[in-house]
Amino acid sequence: MINALTVRGLCKSFAKPIINQLDLTIAPGEIYALLGPNGAGKTTTLRMIAGLLKPDAGSIEVFGTDVLTAPLTAKAMMAWLPDEPLLYDKLSALEYLEFVAGLWQVEPAIAATRAETLLETFGLWQHRHQRCEGFSRGMKQKTVLAGALIHTPKLFILDEPLTGLDAAAAKLVKSILTQCAAEGAAIIITTHILEVAERLATRIGILSGGNLLAQGSFAELQTAAGQHADTSLEDVFLHLTTRADV
Amino acid sequence: MFKPASFAWLLAHEINLLWRGSILLRTSKYVLVPVIAVSVIFQVVALLIVKYLQSPTLSQAILILIANINLIFLSGLMLSRAMTSTIDVLYSRGDADVLLASPIKPISILAVRMIGVAASVAAPWLLLAAALANALAIFGNPQALATYIIIPMLAALVTAIAFLSVVSLVARSGPAKARLFSHSIALFIGVFIFALGQAPRYIAPASLRTLWQAFMPTATNINAAIWLPARAFLGEFIPAALFCAVSILIFWLVLITRARQFADGTISAAAYGSGPAGRRGSGAFRQHPFATTILKNLRLLLRFPGLVTQTTYRSLTLVPVTMILTGHFTIGTGPSVVIPLLVFLAGQLALFFISIIVGSDQSPDLLASAPVAPQTGHRAAYAAASYASLVVMALPVLGVLFRAGQMLPALLAAMAGSILSNLLLGRRFPIPLLRPAFGKTQTGTVFGLILGVSASSFWAFIAWLAVTPTPF
Repeated sequence: MINALTVRGLCKSFAKPIINQLDLTIAPGEIYALLGPNGAGKTTTLRMIAGLLKPDAGSIEVFGTDVLTAPLTAKAMMAWLPDEPLLYDKLSALEYLEFVAGLWQVEPAIAATRAETLLETFGLWQHRHQRCEGFSRGMKQKTVLAGALIHTPKLFILDEPLTGLDAAAAKLVKSILTQCAAEGAAIIITTHILEVAERLATRIGILSGGNLLAQGSFAELQTAAGQHADTSLEDVFLHLTTRADV
Repeated sequence: MFKPASFAWLLAHEINLLWRGSILLRTSKYVLVPVIAVSVIFQVVALLIVKYLQSPTLSQAILILIANINLIFLSGLMLSRAMTSTIDVLYSRGDADVLLASPIKPISILAVRMIGVAASVAAPWLLLAAALANALAIFGNPQALATYIIIPMLAALVTAIAFLSVVSLVARSGPAKARLFSHSIALFIGVFIFALGQAPRYIAPASLRTLWQAFMPTATNINAAIWLPARAFLGEFIPAALFCAVSILIFWLVLITRARQFADGTISAAAYGSGPAGRRGSGAFRQHPFATTILKNLRLLLRFPGLVTQTTYRSLTLVPVTMILTGHFTIGTGPSVVIPLLVFLAGQLALFFISIIVGSDQSPDLLASAPVAPQTGHRAAYAAASYASLVVMALPVLGVLFRAGQMLPALLAAMAGSILSNLLLGRRFPIPLLRPAFGKTQTGTVFGLILGVSASSFWAFIAWLAVTPTPF
């Protein structure tokens, strides 16, 4: 079976090396949580996968399509959600969805139906004509999530997607992501809320100083860290990252 | 250097932030040298004017008339700038909440903000007036140096009026309406100055004489209070002292009466609510990325605060153009005069619109992450800005078609060049604009403005050469 995402030997430096020889594969239907302390290189990795940043070395393939040589084909399959919502304050929620659907060339009738469904799902239908500048952080986050879902991507690249969401909205997003994964989409997600990674992710990768310290299921990480079965992900994470610092 | 949380410390902080955020600093490598050169040129020109064009001694009444006209223009322009600066500084910085949450007295915060605005309002005029004042002082009129006091005092006065208006208006109607109000004042002042400059053409000589006499004292009322500002402007000691006292008093009164309203949170970025619902046209999903991006750009353009007032302000050139085309006004070689004006205007509008689109593009990464060619965003921005420029220019172009059809090809060719040059320049170097929303960063620079004006002037000159039978 073809991988949803294959990263091989990825390297990126700015003033200093940010990512060193990163190898990563994600299968369709998998939710992969990329964890790491601040400055570990998580967002840089995601930006390279999304085609927004050119790597110094290495390759990235999305469902067999090389992101560097065929970026438009690869981008058509992806949805990118940065930690700061990509919104236009002067556009309404519905106008934003129109714009995103147009960029991904979703057939207008289908886009209109999906927009209505998504806005209803996220509780934004009654706000659809309001400009985003008046939205709370949570409403903005829900609007960009609706934008990501409107073109039914096969690979979600989500940088801190639960930031600003209330408990009900966070639960809703987690259930939507689980459903998307069940339908065959692959999801790579970063989060600082380790409980989310523990419960949501099928596999977890821990990045520190640009190096992938460990990856696998939660149980595999516990073993890798030499911890007991009842140890929390927080303990495993701190153990691995502290050991790497030393 | 100063005791933390003291007034001086806060003032130093404010000045530091104003300087770091100033257009001058952001484009210093391009602008500082020309600014110094222009200042030196001003000074030399002022010296030459005063040395060689010294008019015969004017009566006190005529001097007061001249001072009054200058004061009207200066006060109006300063008030316009102070209104927009007040709103811009208070809301776009977004640190009012932080400062008000600190143990610093609200009156100190307000005072520092007002001084910052007054300084920014006074600076450009002081730069201009100081050249003339220096020259006058060198050639035996030391009282002209009063300019160094009077202009800052006038700036303090108009700043106090601006803060009073804005704080009160925000408390009643919200910041969006307050900003609209300031734009309207700016527009009104632009129209007023233009109309006043054209007054001799419209007003009968007798009426014009009456108008000028209204700004001029008679022998019996020359000591009346109404002439004090003009006499202060001319450097008379007691009127100048009184003018300073009144300015400081009004500044202080605004401070003590509005500090509470300011502190109560009326001036807060958070108070800025969302705009009206964008129902019209919503739900029109399009499948083509280029079309959908143009539509997005046009929406952002239409929702730019001050679009109408600033477009109207820039389009004042169309007033004489229309009058020439309709035969109500004759100048030079007739309709051929309007061609360069229209070419210049088209370029300036294109520059203005592309700068808005560039400044409003908050999420370039969204387009970059989409499966569209990298040039799509640029082309859509050019298309939207061109469309908006052509909409404004359509009627004048039709006017040329009917009145001087033979000049149309030259007009269209030069307009195309002017629009295209400004679009290409404006996307890379947008002009400074009011921020599209409170809290957003200014992206434009003076360098963009200089480039755009140069490009528009070049194409206007080409058009003039093309339509003028014997240009030299």
